[in-house]
Amino acid sequence: MNLKAAQFAFGVVLICLLNADPLHAQDAPATLSGTVADSSGRAVPNAKVSVKNLSSGLTTEAQTDAAGLYTVPNLAAGDYEVSATVEGVGTGAAKVTLAAGSQQTLSLTLTTAPAQREPAAPPVAPSENLPNAPSASASSSSKTEPSLEDLGFSKTETQSNAAQQALLDKRTHMLKIHQRMGLITTIPLIATVITSLNAGGKSEGTASRDLHVALGALTGDLYGITAWYAIRAPRIAGTETRGPIRFHRAMAWIHGPGMILTPILGAMAFSQKNNGEKVHGIAAAHGPVAIVTAAAFGAALLSVSLKF
Amino acid sequence: MTFKILALFLLLAPSHGFAADHLWVLKQSTLTYHVSHPLHQTDGVSHAARGKGICHEGQCDFLIAVPVKTFDSGDSNRDLHMIQVTRGAEFPMVTVRTRLPEAASTATTVKTDLEVQFAGQTAHYAQVPFELVKQGDETRISGTIPTTLTDFKIDPPSLLTLPVKNEIPVRVEMTWSPQ
Repeated sequence: MNLKAAQFAFGVVLICLLNADPLHAQDAPATLSGTVADSSGRAVPNAKVSVKNLSSGLTTEAQTDAAGLYTVPNLAAGDYEVSATVEGVGTGAAKVTLAAGSQQTLSLTLTTAPAQREPAAPPVAPSENLPNAPSASASSSSKTEPSLEDLGFSKTETQSNAAQQALLDKRTHMLKIHQRMGLITTIPLIATVITSLNAGGKSEGTASRDLHVALGALTGDLYGITAWYAIRAPRIAGTETRGPIRFHRAMAWIHGPGMILTPILGAMAFSQKNNGEKVHGIAAAHGPVAIVTAAAFGAALLSVSLKF
Repeated sequence: MTFKILALFLLLAPSHGFAADHLWVLKQSTLTYHVSHPLHQTDGVSHAARGKGICHEGQCDFLIAVPVKTFDSGDSNRDLHMIQVTRGAEFPMVTVRTRLPEAASTATTVKTDLEVQFAGQTAHYAQVPFELVKQGDETRISGTIPTTLTDFKIDPPSLLTLPVKNEIPVRVEMTWSPQ
């Protein structure tokens, strides 16, 4: 090798060394999180959690928050022993293998009795083909692990259905708006009922009547939006309606027509009142119809809010 | 000569198959999740779990699986909402894996590590205690898995803008019998 060739080779090696990103030489840090619970499943706050790297012996400590959650970031890939101790509650320990850059969860249950055996080997990675479907893979420490196919589930039962999930997402989104709009509608509805006390009867002034009409109109508009989100929410095929939602829907057959009838009767009563007449005929039903409508609306709201 | 070497190799080579010592089958089960809300305490129940345990060389590998949609809380609207938040159409099965020594079947209590796959996430629960009761050939197992919503990266569902508690412990009652 002549001098020029040697200089060229040295230069190439030097450039490679200078351009090497020291970060790429290391593994991306992993994060371990989870919960600490007592033997009855209750979260244990302020539990001391120790995460020991079994190859380096380095121990990182964390403490659970009020919800019993702990998080230990910036851990190197490798095997760890995780333990938690709370005086008077018990201890818990487990082994876990962290892959580079992974975010793994490990939840510990504290018990007072000594552990009966060593923690099991890290479990098998889930199958990539079936959602949520673990199977005996090449990395498995045993060839005897059963699979979902062994349990006799059909493919349609275990297969992912993204279209159905999208439909459920849309349904939930629309019903959330329905729920919020229903709550918002309650405010002008109550105000309309309250202002009705001064809107009719022997009162000759128009101000309170106008306020009652304005609030009633606002209630009607908001109710319409609320109803639209419930009616337009996608139906999920093959779902049998059970529980309080049946009552909630049944109430809609009362407050729905009521919300149409009430303003019509109200407009008739308003007109009669403005002409100096006593409210009479079918318009006299405005008050009772409005009360039944408001009551049905309230019952519908409570039926899905409180457990009877 | 080549044939003889090949035949000898095949005779001496370890078998790629395996023979399970025995099997356990899940006969009956009741899985109940509990959700706490300031206005509600809700339990969702499923009896649709299937399970199998394969024992080999003193160790038994168990798999229990249950379709997410089979949990019934008594309200179809809430059940559909639970399926949505847990991405139950995308990840329709909940699976639990565990490994126990064969000798554990004669104990009255056992603590075991569980691998739970749910909502597209895998969570590990260490040393979860279970009680065992022998009833003839059958073994009845009961215990509570201390699952939380954050374990599976599930956003807490809310009612009237109030979210449910993070803890959703799952009560497990199963009857296993050897096959």
